[in-house]
Amino acid sequence: MKWIRKFHKWASIVVGIQFLLWLLSGIYFNLMDATKAKGRTYQARINYESPLVGDRLVEPSIVLLKNKPSVAIELIQILGEPFYKLTHEKALYPHFKNKYTLVDAYTAKRFLIDEQVAAEIANLSYNGPGEIFKFRLLDPTIPDFPKQQNPTWEIYFDDVIDTSVFIEANSGRIIGHSDAHKHLADIFFMLHFMDYGNTGSFNNIQNMFFAIAALWLTLSGFIWTIHLGLKGKYKIRH
Amino acid sequence: MTIKIKLKQYTNGKILNKVSRKIHKWLMLFIGIQFVIWSVTGTYMVFFDIDYIHGDSLVVNHQDKINPHDIEYSLSTLFGEYPNAENIRLSTFLQQPVYRFKVNTQSGPVQFLLDARSGKPLSPITESKAIEAAHYYSTLGKVKSVVLITDNPPFELSPRVLPAWRINFDDFGAPSLYFSQSTGELVGKRHTFWRLFDWMFRFHVMDYEDGGDIGNWLLFMVTFFAILGCVLGLIMTGFLLIRPTKKLASFHKNKSRGVIK
Repeated sequence: MKWIRKFHKWASIVVGIQFLLWLLSGIYFNLMDATKAKGRTYQARINYESPLVGDRLVEPSIVLLKNKPSVAIELIQILGEPFYKLTHEKALYPHFKNKYTLVDAYTAKRFLIDEQVAAEIANLSYNGPGEIFKFRLLDPTIPDFPKQQNPTWEIYFDDVIDTSVFIEANSGRIIGHSDAHKHLADIFFMLHFMDYGNTGSFNNIQNMFFAIAALWLTLSGFIWTIHLGLKGKYKIRH
Repeated sequence: MTIKIKLKQYTNGKILNKVSRKIHKWLMLFIGIQFVIWSVTGTYMVFFDIDYIHGDSLVVNHQDKINPHDIEYSLSTLFGEYPNAENIRLSTFLQQPVYRFKVNTQSGPVQFLLDARSGKPLSPITESKAIEAAHYYSTLGKVKSVVLITDNPPFELSPRVLPAWRINFDDFGAPSLYFSQSTGELVGKRHTFWRLFDWMFRFHVMDYEDGGDIGNWLLFMVTFFAILGCVLGLIMTGFLLIRPTKKLASFHKNKSRGVIK
């Protein structure tokens, strides 16, 4: 038992503070408003209702012929207008590195998501009181969405919670919103995941090291508790 | 004089340490097991790479290109036959060009899979096609069993993707791949390590009902007391590190041992 107690004490020195941070960030996650923590305070759903004019659409086979080889071609809507999204290289997930070309489905012309288009998409997905005051094109890594691996437009709104809307530059996809609430939540995630490099992951060396230390702490504490119980040290005195 | 003040601080500290020890001991009798659960489940989640957990290594992401000359069934013909088609995409399934789309009906959305050469429906996918797809889109070995799931999906599959073929492999980590019966798309990839991760996460956030709810009351109560227990533990750790000076300790040993008790 002497060694168990020693283990427990030493482990507490190593991981004690981090353990408290895990618990404090943990109780924050328990209490937080999940919508706000995801930056969705002013996020609106976009529903394009404009009907497609089927006979005006350029045939996908023609679009395919005129562009680089594609693994997929998809009829999508951007700002209510039809476009073909050609996928030249398809990743397992949208946030992984994908290669796309956007083509106007009525004219077969190349279409780029420039700052104006990105701003219009951002406006549609925003239902807060602010106005756009700034935008910029970001190359990964994007601090607000560290897992996003494709170039992204960040559109800034001048509301009190500093909302930004992130639009994927090669597809027009809305990656998400971010604001002061999300930034606060991100700090707690950073502490909980020990993700000080902001990689968006909890699989890091420091976390592994402290996880092992935490195992020592809790297992030694557990054995100690059982030992105390067996020795009759849990007695209620009257 | 200074020694007296220091001694007072020391004895106050000693009481604080003693009270901390007592409450810590009692708290841990009740919530200590959750500390063990948190660290075991947390360690599991931290050590297994999340992409591996997601089963990314189970599948092969083929980059089969569409041959535009193969598309004999035009989009305008498709619109003629399915005027309400939505979410239309043209890609490949087992290296054949295919159209996939959705039609909203009164009983809900219906998914379609058409051969882009002839316009012939290819769905519902047969069992042998599903097995063929499972081999083509994965690195996995022998198929152990095949099940068609039309309702009550297992916890590892979203009900939105039903109906789906479940292909179980006789391979490391008991992997299962799921293919939509209506579109032929790979809609799930699971293995033992994902299944374990899912359990670990539920235990980590103390959600014993449907998983994923971190806003539950039980977690709040236990975490609240856990913070108390942890702070008290840290106080004791603090006393381990900030020992009184030798002189003070011996002074205390000689003079005031009885006073404290």
